[in-house]
Amino acid sequence: MKVKKRTPKIILTIIFIYLLLPIVATFLYSISTSWINTVLPEGLTFKWYAQLVFNPEFLNVVLRSLVLSIFTTILGLVIFVPVIFYMNIYNQKLKAKMRYITMLPFIIPGIILVTGLIQLYKDIPIPKIVILVMVLSVMSLPLVYQTLNNVFISKDFKSMFEQSQLLGYGPVKSFMFVIVPNIKTGLIVSTLLLFSAGLGDYVITNLFLGGNYITLKIYMYRLMAVNGNAGSVLTIIYFIMLSILSAILIRTTSKAKKG
Amino acid sequence: MKMSLKNRFLLLFVLLICLVLIFPIGVMIISSFNSQDGSWGLMNYQELFTNHYYRNAIGHSLTLSLSASLFSEVIAILGAWSLTKMSSSVKESLVTIFNLASSFAGVPLAFSLIILLGNSGVLHVISKSLDINILGSINVYSWLGIVIAYSFFEIPLGILFLYPTFEEIDQGWKEASDTLGVSNCFFLKKVIYPVLVPGLVETLIILFANAMGTYETVFALTGNNITFISTIIGSLIGGEITSNIPLAGALSVVFGLVMIALVIMGNLLVRTKRITEGK
Repeated sequence: MKVKKRTPKIILTIIFIYLLLPIVATFLYSISTSWINTVLPEGLTFKWYAQLVFNPEFLNVVLRSLVLSIFTTILGLVIFVPVIFYMNIYNQKLKAKMRYITMLPFIIPGIILVTGLIQLYKDIPIPKIVILVMVLSVMSLPLVYQTLNNVFISKDFKSMFEQSQLLGYGPVKSFMFVIVPNIKTGLIVSTLLLFSAGLGDYVITNLFLGGNYITLKIYMYRLMAVNGNAGSVLTIIYFIMLSILSAILIRTTSKAKKG
Repeated sequence: MKMSLKNRFLLLFVLLICLVLIFPIGVMIISSFNSQDGSWGLMNYQELFTNHYYRNAIGHSLTLSLSASLFSEVIAILGAWSLTKMSSSVKESLVTIFNLASSFAGVPLAFSLIILLGNSGVLHVISKSLDINILGSINVYSWLGIVIAYSFFEIPLGILFLYPTFEEIDQGWKEASDTLGVSNCFFLKKVIYPVLVPGLVETLIILFANAMGTYETVFALTGNNITFISTIIGSLIGGEITSNIPLAGALSVVFGLVMIALVIMGNLLVRTKRITEGK
């Protein structure tokens, strides 16, 4: 039995080290004073971190990314949650048809979608950033749909919703005060998925807005060419942000499974 | 009031989908039949299939995506199988890590790979100062480099997709078939194979489609220098001198059709598998 367990452990350790190698190298690079001709960095320092964090441009970049992520999240939640609820409870036919639509963003990569977006909106005087927020929320629809769908089939939300209305709440109140508290996990997961979609997009944001709205990833791409140290610091900061989001995500879903 | 509220949300939803998915794709398809000087016809498609440059790019995309997805799938199979042998707390933290790794794609991944493997990267510096060649002939900006780059998000993605399939395989099955005196070969063919194969095929298709759609990582690694379908679309719409949006549209349509064909094929394969299983 012991030998049987050793092989999987070795395999996973190798995969783990392989996957983390670039991050470890980037981290070491980000805290080294200079690393040109030696086995290990010549000295360790946090000055690249200080330099980047105190750069006003960096603050702007973070703010821009946050604005994009927050609006994407709000739009996605406000529209997707009630619609997926409605389809699950009252309109199964529509739900069957919607399945294909919700898969579309999975099949159509960003680089294709952006080709159409550029053409469609090149002469229409709507601020492109508004369209971008809409696009990013729809891009995370497949995962959000799946998450919420699983939540809505887990309990009898239909009678919950109807009983609440029999007891005197209106539909809006019933939804907000009876349904929403019961789908907290699904909402948290959806929020994280939408937020990550806003934070992690590069292709659509860069090509659709023509590089005029500099988010974290676009800034990172620009730093890559001019300043390796600052770029590695930014990569690490981005990695930490993703780690936090990912940890909350898994924590929430596993807690829900257990209890 | 109740009805109208529901309808209002549905209307918003449909409007949103139309504005950012249906209409742009529609406009793209229509304009792919339009040339830059305004005439209509199939010239963009003709150009794509007769011009070597584009034909090569389509070929490159297909072969690279196939190599990257096969390579990642093999490792993901090992990883997913190993994962099922772990205790549940180890499983949970590893799933978190794989989830994180699969989302660490694109610019940050390209950048860390350049730091790790690039011409003045960490491994290069170390091997130079030790006077041994750790890297061999690995070059991040090359074909092999791109397969490696893709593997950093495709391996974890593959593990996440395959892991539930492997969890389905019950230890008890083996014991049951041993009791019944079934040979190992029969066990693999009749018990493991029908459960595993649909999952493996489905995951391979997902990985392949994911590799085909990858633009950010290649672009950040090599600029638009390596010709893939995605990078050519990028340079055709990127507002450079070579910009030709209708041609990019045509290329996107071809690309989209390949993706849809893949998904349908995957669904069919998995479904026939499940139907025969049901019998």
